[in-house]
Amino acid sequence: MASYIIKRLLAMVPTLFGVAVLIFLLLRVVPGDVVEARYIGQGSQFQSQELMQLERKKLGLDQPLWRQFTSWMGGLLRLDFGLSMWTGAPIIEEIRLRFALSLQLAIMASTVATLLAIPLGILAAMKQDTWIDYAVRVFSIAGLAMPSFWLGILIILVMLIVFRWLPPMVFTPLWVNPWENLAQLIWPALAVGYRYSAVGTRMMRSAMLEVLREDYIRTARAKGLALKLILTRHALKNAILPVLTIISLEFAFLLGGLVVTEQVFNLNGLGMLFVEAIARRDYTLTQALVMLVATTFLLVNFVVDVAYAWIDPRIRYR
Amino acid sequence: MPPSSPLNETAAPPDRKSAGTVFATLVDFARRRPLGAVGGAIIVVMVMLAASANLIAPYDPLATDYAAMLAAPSEAHWLGTDAFGRDMLSRMIHGSRTALMVGLGASLLGASLGSLIGVASAYFGGRVDLLVQRVMDVFFAFPVIILALAVVSIIGTGVGNVVLAIATPMVPRCARVVRASALSVREMPYVDAARAAGFGHPRIILRHMLPNVMAPVLIMATAFLGEAILLEASLSFLGLGVTEPTAAWGLMLRGAAVEFAETAPWMAIFPGLAISLAVFGFNLLGDSLRDALDPRLRTQ
Repeated sequence: MASYIIKRLLAMVPTLFGVAVLIFLLLRVVPGDVVEARYIGQGSQFQSQELMQLERKKLGLDQPLWRQFTSWMGGLLRLDFGLSMWTGAPIIEEIRLRFALSLQLAIMASTVATLLAIPLGILAAMKQDTWIDYAVRVFSIAGLAMPSFWLGILIILVMLIVFRWLPPMVFTPLWVNPWENLAQLIWPALAVGYRYSAVGTRMMRSAMLEVLREDYIRTARAKGLALKLILTRHALKNAILPVLTIISLEFAFLLGGLVVTEQVFNLNGLGMLFVEAIARRDYTLTQALVMLVATTFLLVNFVVDVAYAWIDPRIRYR
Repeated sequence: MPPSSPLNETAAPPDRKSAGTVFATLVDFARRRPLGAVGGAIIVVMVMLAASANLIAPYDPLATDYAAMLAAPSEAHWLGTDAFGRDMLSRMIHGSRTALMVGLGASLLGASLGSLIGVASAYFGGRVDLLVQRVMDVFFAFPVIILALAVVSIIGTGVGNVVLAIATPMVPRCARVVRASALSVREMPYVDAARAAGFGHPRIILRHMLPNVMAPVLIMATAFLGEAILLEASLSFLGLGVTEPTAAWGLMLRGAAVEFAETAPWMAIFPGLAISLAVFGFNLLGDSLRDALDPRLRTQ
């Protein structure tokens, strides 16, 4: 088991390195840099070239690419993300609060997705090819079709018109005021969770249908076990794994990929930070964010794989 | 499984003898897969609207009317007007063109590039395959929208660039699925035969292997279509996709639609409805197509 874990961890290194090279080069292909972006508002033609050159020197942008890259890599190895090129503040500080928000939102949305997907999927499988099955399918396909930002607009609209109430617009961390915090985050979590439940629901349905055809289910039935017990003890236990897998694999993407939903609900999460960082040509911050999301994604993958290997020893010897 | 079988299995079920015409096939499809037929109907309506947009749209989608800004739905403007007094219905009808253009363009581009890479990767195998797979892994570590945003920030906004940006995240996903199918095709005797006949690599890949992985490619392309429309809407909503004054659904939801949502809710409701219906249609059709063509992919 230990050797399997080490092997899987080592396999992450080349992928992460590739991500680093890709984002590093992508950013520098784009014309313009942070210095130009900063002076555009003030009319860059009025700024003296020497001044801009000086700023570039301060940020290390005058260095050859390979040196910029190695010094960034060196920092990453020491878990030092460096300073934001735009604000000059340490990137850890820039990211901290936004990470808390995005993490909480991702956890809440995944919870919503799981709570919707499992019962709906079981229901659809039990009532296969009846109108209930069709209704569940339409419900989940509709969830995939509706842009979650539009769902968000609708939620806000309904609350405005019906309840004359708007969720709070300024983020309050959970540990400061849990009530305020939940009042704000529950709505985007519902909008996003509904969308992500769709894939889980279909997975649950088909996994359940497959498991119900297994011999041990027939045996359980034959020995007169109650349907409820068969479902919970035998079927669910085996069918639930792929559903949890698919929902956890989406998790990393929920962390950094909710750009549009964050915009609608006026949340300053990682997604919005990413858009800002790109617009400002803030290389260091963009790089740090991409590495953060990619690492999370790979780690979640890793945990899922290890969990599988732990449950099913055959996988380790593949 | 013989590579040509998934198409044949479902196209000619043994119990059907009357199906000689396209129409009969369609009726049969509708009876077997009512949800798929609903999806198909939505798409047909959408394509017709897009094709005849100039004829049926009551107003010029770009014409502003400052006397009728934010007008509520009425006889003159069935779905109301936006903050510039532009007719919402006309903009939505013309928006279906943008959605279809971007959707078709991006999914065709993504699926063809992806399948080419997937087949080539499987065909050459060994180090090439390993390298291609590692590169694909890198792309998989990005959230789809982030990858699209990154591409847009490099090549800029506008319809053509958005197509490229949306196709980018689809390439590796298509490549992965197609590679899996192509691996089994590679072992087929006819590929050996082609190689023995001395055909070049491009010919074997394009003429002998690619046609036999068309089923998964078709499924992926349909699935991408809905997703591409959704992505286009998201990018445009962020102001990083299709740009004003082009009529596009995501763009219509941006800015004033949110700002005036309370006083002019029609601006926020109708374009979103159009997006949802279109994506819904493509997803329904794609699902049925997948079930019909390749049951193995059902859980993906």
